[in-house]
Amino acid sequence: MVLLTFRLKVKNAETGATVEMELDGDNSVDEMIESAATFWNKDMGAYVLRKGKKVLRGGSTLKDAGVMAEDVLELIPDPEGG
Amino acid sequence: MPGAVDQDTFDRSRRVGWLDLDAIFRTRVLMIGAGALGNEVGKCLALSGFRRVTVVDMDHVVGSNLNRCLFFTQEDARTGSKKAEVVARGIMDISPDARARAVVGRLEDLPGSFYDGFDIVLGCLDNIAARIHANSHAYHAGRPYVDGGMEGFIGRVMVCLPPDGPCVQCGMNRSHAKVANMRFSCTGEGVVFHEPRLAAEITTTSLVSAVMVRESLKIASGRKDMTLRNTFYYDGQRNVAEEMEVPLDPRCPNHPPQVLQVSENHIMSGSVQ
Repeated sequence: MVLLTFRLKVKNAETGATVEMELDGDNSVDEMIESAATFWNKDMGAYVLRKGKKVLRGGSTLKDAGVMAEDVLELIPDPEGG
Repeated sequence: MPGAVDQDTFDRSRRVGWLDLDAIFRTRVLMIGAGALGNEVGKCLALSGFRRVTVVDMDHVVGSNLNRCLFFTQEDARTGSKKAEVVARGIMDISPDARARAVVGRLEDLPGSFYDGFDIVLGCLDNIAARIHANSHAYHAGRPYVDGGMEGFIGRVMVCLPPDGPCVQCGMNRSHAKVANMRFSCTGEGVVFHEPRLAAEITTTSLVSAVMVRESLKIASGRKDMTLRNTFYYDGQRNVAEEMEVPLDPRCPNHPPQVLQVSENHIMSGSVQ
């Protein structure tokens, strides 16, 4: 099966830095979160990816999440302290 | 001489047209967690008219709590006072009409039916496992759940209104699962700490707790139409506050698939929306 790859950008909400990633539609949001967090050496913790005002579901594929080429997603920490 | 208006504690609240103070007075609130968020939420609950508050926490006060916890004192830290008891007492000090009850113990040890005795559940927790526990029990009991979280200058509030809409667990992913059993706080014995210990400061705590109680006021006043849809996100470093949507996750265990027997040979499934 041939998978179409596409490029998009992920922004680090804490620093404003961006990274361009090449993915295919069957990659999951979870995988993207892990890749971006690893790339920026993020502390262990909870993070979410959002597209605009919508938080993307971790288990869904990028295709199912409606992610498209050239999208800019944002990696934000999910604060869990109280 | 001050007039009757000036003698009424809630005169200024009564001037907010949609606030239903009688309903707020009657609302039974379960506040889980009596740390930094619990202190500020307790203060806001008491001042805004909530009188029936139950506070659950297993922990005791230590010195490093004192930069962000209104009700805790050096003496509490020295003697290791129970957080739930101090906060419940503080609520009643502020509001003589309040009946605040402390439950010192683990959330997980409370029976599931415990939630039935409340109208609103507020999560002021410091770990994901406890959040999942409180969220699922509140959801299945059909109780609105307002969850707060913070880290340094970043804060979040989510409003869950069962039986409709997403819950806190819908917004979680694999990164949450990896740290689910770690506590994101500063005290306690025999627990695994998240390292490095998280930053926490009072201005974010105040803001998050204020939003939590404001949403509770709407729910108690019968104005669910005005509540967050469904997450408030705050970044105090960038001075950004915005509303975000966490979609319902059909695979979330709190939203079991609704199986419809269409015919002998066809079964359709979908989530309960």
